[in-house]
Amino acid sequence: MIVNLRFRRTFLKAGFLSSAVFLMDGCSLFGITTPIDTISVMHKDLFPEARHLGITTNSYMYIVFSHPRISEKDKIFLKNGVKWLNEEALKMYKRTYTKLSSPQRQKVLEYVTQIEWGDSFVYDVMNYMFEAMLGDPVYGGNNHEAGWKWLNFQGGQPRPKKAFL
Amino acid sequence: MYDVCIIGSGAGGSPIAYELANAGFNVVVLEKGENYTESDFNKDEIGVTRRDMFTPPLNEQKHIINEYKADGTFTRYDGEKSGWNFWNGSLVGGSSNLMSGYFHRLKPNDFKLKSVYGEIKGANVVDWPISYEDLEPYYDKVEKVVGVSGKIVKHKQQEPRSSAGFPYPELQTNGATKWFDVACKELNYEFIPTPRAILSQNALGRNGCYYSNFCGSYGCASGAKGSGRAALLQKCNAKIITDAFVYKLESNDKKVTRAYYYTSHGIRHSVQAKIFVLSAQAIESSRLLLNSKNKYFPNGLANSSGELGKNLIFSAGGTGSGRFVFEKLTQKQQEELMQVGLFFNRSLQEWYDYKDKGKKYKGGTVDFLFEHQNLISRVMREVYNENGNLLWGDALKDKLHKRLTTSRMLTFEVFNDWLPTDKCFVGVDEKVKDKYGVHVGVINLYGHPHDLEVGEYLAKKSVKVLEKLGCEEISYDISAAPPPNLVAGGCRFGIDATKSVLDKNCKAHDLDNLYVSDASFMPTGGSVPYTWTIYANSFRIADVIKISLKEKL
Ligand SMILES: Cc1cc2nc3c(=O)[nH]c(=O)nc-3n(C[C@H](O)[C@H](O)[C@H](O)COP(=O)(O)OP(=O)(O)OC[C@H]3O[C@@H](n4cnc5c(N)ncnc54)[C@H](O)[C@@H]3O)c2cc1C
Ligand code: SF4
Repeated sequence: MIVNLRFRRTFLKAGFLSSAVFLMDGCSLFGITTPIDTISVMHKDLFPEARHLGITTNSYMYIVFSHPRISEKDKIFLKNGVKWLNEEALKMYKRTYTKLSSPQRQKVLEYVTQIEWGDSFVYDVMNYMFEAMLGDPVYGGNNHEAGWKWLNFQGGQPRPKKAFL
Repeated sequence: MYDVCIIGSGAGGSPIAYELANAGFNVVVLEKGENYTESDFNKDEIGVTRRDMFTPPLNEQKHIINEYKADGTFTRYDGEKSGWNFWNGSLVGGSSNLMSGYFHRLKPNDFKLKSVYGEIKGANVVDWPISYEDLEPYYDKVEKVVGVSGKIVKHKQQEPRSSAGFPYPELQTNGATKWFDVACKELNYEFIPTPRAILSQNALGRNGCYYSNFCGSYGCASGAKGSGRAALLQKCNAKIITDAFVYKLESNDKKVTRAYYYTSHGIRHSVQAKIFVLSAQAIESSRLLLNSKNKYFPNGLANSSGELGKNLIFSAGGTGSGRFVFEKLTQKQQEELMQVGLFFNRSLQEWYDYKDKGKKYKGGTVDFLFEHQNLISRVMREVYNENGNLLWGDALKDKLHKRLTTSRMLTFEVFNDWLPTDKCFVGVDEKVKDKYGVHVGVINLYGHPHDLEVGEYLAKKSVKVLEKLGCEEISYDISAAPPPNLVAGGCRFGIDATKSVLDKNCKAHDLDNLYVSDASFMPTGGSVPYTWTIYANSFRIADVIKISLKEKL
């Protein structure tokens, strides 16, 4: 019985990041995006330094969305956050977040972080982004420990041989 | 049939296993977690501290938490939905693998709080049925067998000791520690080097500390940390069965007859033994006894007194911090400050006992330590500006770089008594079950206002050191929030069988062969973290069991 439940959860999770998020305004369909597209652009907007250091953070989100230790509630919140962020983008500029110019995206971020859900959502996105950038390189981010070097951080020994997934 | 069956392999269980197995008895330990050795542990911040790899996932095992107000009303939290996590470490050796090893003994007055300081309204303070002198030889034994390093300095709160010094010299300290010593001298504060359950050199068949920089919350890869696993279980041949979640103890009217456990696949097993020792950590030990009710003990095993689960306590107090900034330091001092790995290791016990406005108070201990090195956590603490707005982009980049490379936070932790009250106790939820199908524990929480008063007093004294040190951003937070890892009570020991669950040897009054050897026995907790006392008391119980088994031969 326990095993069955596990399977079901894994199944539910699989498509989370790349599945479509439908953006509605009242009753009409305004646009479609996926969490990974939006979150990837957010990473660039929130901390461009990661890319300057040669660190890719967005693919770590696949680990986040399939991690059995991250609750469904947290994952659903991230996905809803993507939807709400895009709906604000649509309201403000009539285009989805990823299609806006950089200054427009900054305006959207500035606006949503003043709202409770937006503050929590952007905080969560940053939290996982920094896990990718500053966690052990075994998780696929923090390329050649560039994040650690940037902060003069030595890491702890021994290092993990494999990621805890 | 085994001679002894121990449930839970942490600080409470491991001394019993070590002593009895080494005395030639047939010992089995049932542990719900997995086994690890030194070579399995690493410093993966994500896995260890953010994905909680050593504790059960909350969607499978959780607690229900009722937070009480003074008027008796409470707010109910579901551990899974709220993320309020009371698990500390499910692995062979329990949370002792993950502790930081700040080790202090209780002091003689901790054993007679009621007689010395009097009653406090709304608190169930009682004296212990044993004295400091009864436990002292076992504190001493822990120093030698588990390994405690440190340096004895003369101070007015020093408790009596049978050995002059610690068996292992002090651990190395960071260059900034000497600034602390100067500041304390100027303030006329007596400071002490913090004793640690960490070997400062190779000894006892274990490696000394290599100052890994990631101690608390992380398993020790050298064996220097005095976990029940490294120090005791790996040094005896007790049989350890892992993946064994004990859900029920079966009994007749006099004895426990079997321990039943489930594996993670839901397969049921049972074990028979002459003596059963429960050490699943305070909350879970009470839960197991409550869940083991039967026709002889309809209110929970060993609960004829009705005291089972009652008077749960934690370490009261809180934390404070201040920041050293490069701008105020010479280049040499900056280098000293940023030395990583070495410990700060200073404590204040000057106000373990104090007078304020003519009234005598039981105070507590303050440990000083650098902010934990966990990088992601340190970064996430910087993402808000002073107005509470999220930062990102260049503003965040500049702030992070400056804060993390040119400043360092010194913190302090206050430990004072969490007074036992009627509103702080363990129950079981009649409806909610865990993944094994077993009723989950209910943690009822209440912090007595007196705890906050004492905590405030100690924090204000401690802040003065940070001020003297020239720290910036000094703040502290004393609260009634319970530290889940510093928990005790629920199965009080005492002389009177109508008012306590255990006798003075931590054997259940009601049953001939059931002992509880984790911190559940403590009627009051003292003003220090508990583990040294748990170890010492467990060695004491082991001696009692040894005699009892020899009589049975
Ligand atoms: C991060 C951290 C830092 C700490 N720092 C300090 C410190 O500096 N100083 C200090 O004194 N203390 C410290 N502690 C506290 C210390 O670890 C505990 O006081 C001590 O380990 C408690 O011993 P215990 O035997 O009660 O529980 P544990 O050591 O946790 O052992 C209980 C064991 O029982 C098992 N178990 C539970 N239920 C069952 C069941 N039903 N069936 C089978 N097995 C079961 C658990 O999996 C666990 O392995 C710290 C703890 C943590 C987590
Ligand atoms: S090596 Fe030292 S610092 Fe590292 S975990 Fe072990 S005892 Fe702690």
